[in-house]
Amino acid sequence: MQLETNGVCKYFGGLKAVDGVDFSLSSGQLKSIIGPNGAGKTTFFNLLSGFYLPTKGTIRFEGKDISRKSMDQVSQLGITKTFQITQIFPRLTVFENVRIAAQSRKTAFNFWRRAGHFHDVNEKALEILDLVTLLDSRERIASNLSHGEKRYLEIGMALAAEPKVLLLDEPTAGMSPAETVEATHLIRDIADRLDLTIVLVEHDMSVVMEISDDILVLHEGKVLAEGNPKTISDNEEVQRVYLGGGK
Amino acid sequence: MFDLSWEIVAMQMIFGLALGCVYVLMAGGLSIIFGLLDVVNFAHGTFYMLGAYAIFVAVSLCGNFWLGLVSAVVIVALVGGVIEWLLLKPLYKRDPLYPLLLTFGVSICIPDIIKICFGLIGKVVPYPSGLMGAYMWGPVMIPKYRLFIIVLTLVVLISLWLFLNKSNLGMIIRASTRDSLMTQVLGINVSRIWTIGFMIGIGLAALAGAVAAPMVASIPDMGVEMTIECFVVVVIGGLGSLGGAIIGGLLIGQVISFVALFAPSWSNVAIFMVMAIILIIRPRGLFGEEGRL
Amino acid sequence: MEKKVDYSLRVEMTKMEKLTDIKREKGKVGFVDKSVWITLLILLVLPFLISKPLATEILIYGLFALAFNQLLGHTGVLSFGHAAYFGVGAYAGGMALRYFHVSVWTSLVVAMVVTALVAACIGVLAIKKKGVYFAMISLAFAQMFYFMALSPFRKWTGGEDGLKFIPILKLEFPFHVDLTSALPLYYFTYFVVGLAIIALWRILDSPFGRVLKAIRENEVRTQASGFNVTRAKFLSLVISGSFSGLAGALFTVYLGYGSLMTLFWMTSGSILMMTLLGGMHTFIGPVVGVGVFMYLQNTISVYTDRWQLFVGALFVALVLFFPDGLVGTIKMKYRERKSRA
Repeated sequence: MQLETNGVCKYFGGLKAVDGVDFSLSSGQLKSIIGPNGAGKTTFFNLLSGFYLPTKGTIRFEGKDISRKSMDQVSQLGITKTFQITQIFPRLTVFENVRIAAQSRKTAFNFWRRAGHFHDVNEKALEILDLVTLLDSRERIASNLSHGEKRYLEIGMALAAEPKVLLLDEPTAGMSPAETVEATHLIRDIADRLDLTIVLVEHDMSVVMEISDDILVLHEGKVLAEGNPKTISDNEEVQRVYLGGGK
Repeated sequence: MFDLSWEIVAMQMIFGLALGCVYVLMAGGLSIIFGLLDVVNFAHGTFYMLGAYAIFVAVSLCGNFWLGLVSAVVIVALVGGVIEWLLLKPLYKRDPLYPLLLTFGVSICIPDIIKICFGLIGKVVPYPSGLMGAYMWGPVMIPKYRLFIIVLTLVVLISLWLFLNKSNLGMIIRASTRDSLMTQVLGINVSRIWTIGFMIGIGLAALAGAVAAPMVASIPDMGVEMTIECFVVVVIGGLGSLGGAIIGGLLIGQVISFVALFAPSWSNVAIFMVMAIILIIRPRGLFGEEGRL
Repeated sequence: MEKKVDYSLRVEMTKMEKLTDIKREKGKVGFVDKSVWITLLILLVLPFLISKPLATEILIYGLFALAFNQLLGHTGVLSFGHAAYFGVGAYAGGMALRYFHVSVWTSLVVAMVVTALVAACIGVLAIKKKGVYFAMISLAFAQMFYFMALSPFRKWTGGEDGLKFIPILKLEFPFHVDLTSALPLYYFTYFVVGLAIIALWRILDSPFGRVLKAIRENEVRTQASGFNVTRAKFLSLVISGSFSGLAGALFTVYLGYGSLMTLFWMTSGSILMMTLLGGMHTFIGPVVGVGVFMYLQNTISVYTDRWQLFVGALFVALVLFFPDGLVGTIKMKYRERKSRA
């Protein structure tokens, strides 16, 4: 198991956002997490990435306990994410956005050399931009990008940090159907080419069914069901709670 | 230093309590403005100063302290409303830094305007005739005016609590914080609510200044120091919390009062050292909420 | 069970050439930026354009503003109490000169070290806090230092009158310079400030500097990318404070005594205004802001006492209508015209 949680909980006062979730992920898998609104998907993601500290339970990555690690520590260990609301550096150029992400694996506190001198970091940034089809936009100011392009940029930034596990929180949110199809293919392509482990939170069932190896269904902070796409779409309880009683 | 009778200690406590109440009013106003508008009002002390000058002018004109007090609060609150409407409102959609900077700019301009109108010499407001002198509680002397301040603050706090929690307008104000869902749904109307909320906060500052006026000589530059002291209260008490403003204000009042007695050269520095200590042992403030740090 | 992910991507030939070209252009970097050379050049001849004391003050406050803006404009952290560092530097330098009879060079180093320590202490207590909290706490600490210098520590700091009786200021190393004479004083200050400007520019253009800019743009994203944001902000504060302290020490050398006003809240306010006037999102903007501000102050104060009102109104107008400041607005207009062409 590359990444697993054991009875992990996150309580906000009286609200039990995540209530005892056991989750496991093998290397190279593409696993999706689905569930109705408020099921705790984003909270769970935030637990995995270190944005929240768990109230109870443990999170293990490659055998090590990372439950109390901060977001930057988790990122350095190899789990990076994109956010539900796109988080990029608005006033910097597209290139600089990805370059900083790539730099995170190299150095943070070097203040005597020029940043541009780190050729390998520059190279990595350019390659990532090419991968997410933003190479031609590299000099544009990030805030000027379209919504879909910003999502791609964020994915690029998550990739530039050379993760072993990539967490994508609703990557196709706000995209048009055409953009969604493109993004789906890009994600699957990245997963295959780079042999990455990916965890996806998605609302769009077509995306989920098409590219997932495995699906986890959350409901009210607990696991409702788990299995491959066929198993899940046949599952009656899932149908009732989430898919609306019929495909 | 230790041949102090407990009567003197008790009296210092009362002075400290009255002073603390002034800080409670100030910090309360600051917290309301911050809670509602997400703006730290750097000009808060400036409105305190305006309150002091306003009551001076009002009492000079009409001769009646009580009339002067009420009109001072109302007029300064209106000035605050105008400033919020014209200068602050356009900045809400920008980086949260800008409203803060604007209030800072206001805090620089207004004292100079006051200097032009009133000069630099301190203005004195006479105590109202009903409140001169002191009560004697056993051997302890309780100045009537100080007692008045304490009672007034209590009344104001209770009224404020009732207003915010029991009245319709009050509950609308509480629901209309700048990042709440309501602001997105209601649009323009909320704008007016914010102005009213701001005016309430300013009104409290003006009240603090007006009641403090007979005790100190009002000078144009008294505002900034008060603002800074207010910040200390709020850091100690916790910014999100009205309860914190109360405890913080009362604590600061006592600290200043007693340090002035025992180590006068440290009287200005003491509150900052208390703040530093609180920051070390309880970083979020006495009543601060975790996460809003 | 560590899995090595292979990030080498096979790219088509034409794309490969394109990438190589881009890599070449991205890798080209000089020593410092043009704007820095131009500014240093202008500052070189400044004492012949305006009065020498005014020019010296512009140098000193210019350095202070650049140090301040490293924290504000480039890291996104507002400190309302930067006078603390300026003032502590001024007093540390002055005390080293007066009580320990060190050389002027040493006093500058002492000031930087002491101020860095002060900044570190404040950082430990406050840097993790949300922006407004930090602004308030920094102001409170500056005020604390002011009152400390004014009253309880009056014996050492001179209280209201300031730290006087500093020994005659001169340099012996590398050659004799009389620092009580206007022009040599200016060029001494120019030398130190020039080096400091170059150092600050290099820091900002380093990998560390880029992390600071990222923090300013989006703290959450910066942390999510794997950077320890708290540590970076802390270091930024220490650097900013330390160079502000250097400016303070230079100010003491310039004045010949340690002034209490260096700790006054209005100093914090002024440096904020000057920085904003010049443009907080550019490197050299703050220096321009200082130049314009001090020149105006010099000229207008001749006609009226109401300089503060003018400044406040100007500031309000700036915040409302020209948040990018002088240099920032010019830069934007230039960029717009370029993209239209």
